[in-house]
Amino acid sequence: MSATAPVSERSFVLLRLTARRFALPAETVIELVVPGSLQIFPHTDPLFLGVLVRRGQVVPVVDVAQVVAGPEVRQRKFYLIATRRFGASREWCAIPVMGDCELVTATPEAPEEGAPDYITGALQLGDEQVPILNLDTVFAGRAADQSPAEVPA
Amino acid sequence: MSSAETKLKAGRRNSRSEQVIVFSVASQRFAIALESVQEIRSADSLAGAATELGQAILKKVRHKLERNGRTYYVVNAGQHFGLAVTRPTLVLVLRKVRACALVDRIEEMLEITVVRALPRAFTGEERRWYRGLALIGDSVIPVVNPTGFLTPEEISLLDSARAAAAAAEAASAETEGVTAP
Repeated sequence: MSATAPVSERSFVLLRLTARRFALPAETVIELVVPGSLQIFPHTDPLFLGVLVRRGQVVPVVDVAQVVAGPEVRQRKFYLIATRRFGASREWCAIPVMGDCELVTATPEAPEEGAPDYITGALQLGDEQVPILNLDTVFAGRAADQSPAEVPA
Repeated sequence: MSSAETKLKAGRRNSRSEQVIVFSVASQRFAIALESVQEIRSADSLAGAATELGQAILKKVRHKLERNGRTYYVVNAGQHFGLAVTRPTLVLVLRKVRACALVDRIEEMLEITVVRALPRAFTGEERRWYRGLALIGDSVIPVVNPTGFLTPEEISLLDSARAAAAAAEAASAETEGVTAP
């Protein structure tokens, strides 16, 4: 008898962006970190709060809550670092979250009717329905160029 | 490792490094390659050398500077980057581009070895503003792209307005010459 989970079950990380929880596929999540020094420089996108330096990488901090949960802003205590797809490669981004995140294994269901494109499904956890977030489509239409991650000075 | 190999490695390291000037505008620090700056002048010295543009074509450009037969447009770096209004004290006259940048102060000169690409998540004008990001100590400092201060379209717009103003001035002088007793 196999101890592995059924094929339809997948691992997700639950994160609380505002009053509501969302789920990210676990394979896209890197780590949860306490806020270090947020580095700010001028830019034109109001969703970007700045950048963090993590493991030698410059990681943009993106306030996803503004897109998926509206302007309601609460105190966010941690940054969840996850990956976003850019063409064939992936790049880290940090999402401010309100509290501890939870790892669950569940079977994804279809999203609610009329859900935005960045909600790819839902998890039914007791009475709570948790939307599954696709970070790649949250910023649809914002594709950047394919510049290298690091260039010599 | 032989001393020749050590020297070779040191040479390679040096060939990757570059000198930058770290300047600030509204308390925000930026870096710019030393080789892209031709001259640093005090803003006060512009008083005699710069000419105010009659027409405000671009909010960030109020003056032009004639140097060696070329017209340089003076860009207020604070307005360019959307920062708080400050009182700039220095002008960076740039090489290879017809722009000067009004900045608050020079912080330091440094040698950096790597300019990291701006994360691809940034997709706005900042991609034109910056060559990338430098990690200096614990700080991330954007490395300014000198050509990002004015786009070719903006320079063209300013040139056209300048030419039109010069033509209008010439016509006005001609009219005054005709009507004068």
